[in-house]
Amino acid sequence: MLALSPLVRLRILLRSLAIQGSWNYQTMQGAGIGFALIPVLARLHRRDPASLAESLKRHTRFYNGHPYLATVAIAAVARMESEQAQAEEIERFKSAIVSPLGSIGDRLVWARWRPLCSLLGLTLFLAGAPWWVASAAFLALYNAVHLALRVWGLHLGWREGRDVGRALMGSPLRRLPDRLTIPLAAVAGALLPLLALGLGGPSGAGSLSVIGIALVLAVVGAWRPAVAGRLAVLVPLVGSLVVMALGSSIG
Amino acid sequence: MPILLCRVDDRLIHGQVVVGWGARTGLDYVAVVDDELARSEWEQDLYRAGLSESVEDRFLSVAEAVELVPQWVQNAERGFILTRDIGTMRRLAEHGVLADIEVNLGGLHDAPGRRRILPYLFLSADDRRELERLRRVHPHVTAQDVPSARRVGLDDLLQSRSG
Repeated sequence: MLALSPLVRLRILLRSLAIQGSWNYQTMQGAGIGFALIPVLARLHRRDPASLAESLKRHTRFYNGHPYLATVAIAAVARMESEQAQAEEIERFKSAIVSPLGSIGDRLVWARWRPLCSLLGLTLFLAGAPWWVASAAFLALYNAVHLALRVWGLHLGWREGRDVGRALMGSPLRRLPDRLTIPLAAVAGALLPLLALGLGGPSGAGSLSVIGIALVLAVVGAWRPAVAGRLAVLVPLVGSLVVMALGSSIG
Repeated sequence: MPILLCRVDDRLIHGQVVVGWGARTGLDYVAVVDDELARSEWEQDLYRAGLSESVEDRFLSVAEAVELVPQWVQNAERGFILTRDIGTMRRLAEHGVLADIEVNLGGLHDAPGRRRILPYLFLSADDRRELERLRRVHPHVTAQDVPSARRVGLDDLLQSRSG
């Protein structure tokens, strides 16, 4: 079996950033997958340009998964190719892997992580940070996890190959979205009304204490969802509305 | 109605199906009918990892589906039936499994030999033949990728010559 050197890993990782670079309705991310696989395919078919062309053709067919987790699919396919798995089996793998990657990625990234980071960035801005500090903080925090997911996926896909489904099923990433539901709701409940009002002015201390309560409930909610439950959403929401009302009556 | 959706989609279990069609319906199980998949553990693991833990996965061969689905229809559980090709759905229809449940063509994607009919529906000559055979035993067939999209009738699909 081929060894995947750190340099090849890095090249796959960098190429995976362009996974949607030639997105289209016909093959979606197909060309992106083929492009990211080139460092491995070129090595496997070093002496035979015709077979390289043939395998590249197969790997630019229809594929559409979560972009950040595409490295799981790319690395697992690389592993299967290097073990000379049947082309038909690899095709079946590619169509099946879309399902868990899409489900985990959509819930974790689009529905939890991105809104959470946006809220935190907005809070920074309204708490008085310059716009570029708030934007940079948002981008740094968001992309730290984005890039970590890509690196994690590359290692997992290569290690597990075809059997990566079992590893994904036991992965904490599959349960994490449910764990983040309450923290996200608590933070959103506290912040949205306050953001509408702005954090400065006479109600500043009240706002900060509501945010403090929300953060405590968020932490409790992450560990014991059943205990925090709806309280985690309602208390910060009501609290911030009260602060808003007091703020406007004072002002 | 216990079978909420009966769908042909080569991606089988994926976001559009589970979130788009399942979110508001209170889904108990997703049954995937496919002879090869019913024998392939590693593939089942992949699809299983794509479902949330509250939804039960069931992988069946056509023969098993013929036996079990009529029993499921009797109880209160709510589920989806998915196949990855028209041929498998046609075999279910021929065995009378589908009763009067509408078959939804939700996604057959580009592959060698296939031509575009709708953005999410590419059909080969074989697919068209299977669709004709399906229609003879089961007239309730429409195409629709997501619940908010327009439903396209079978006549429009089969007459379409767009490439």
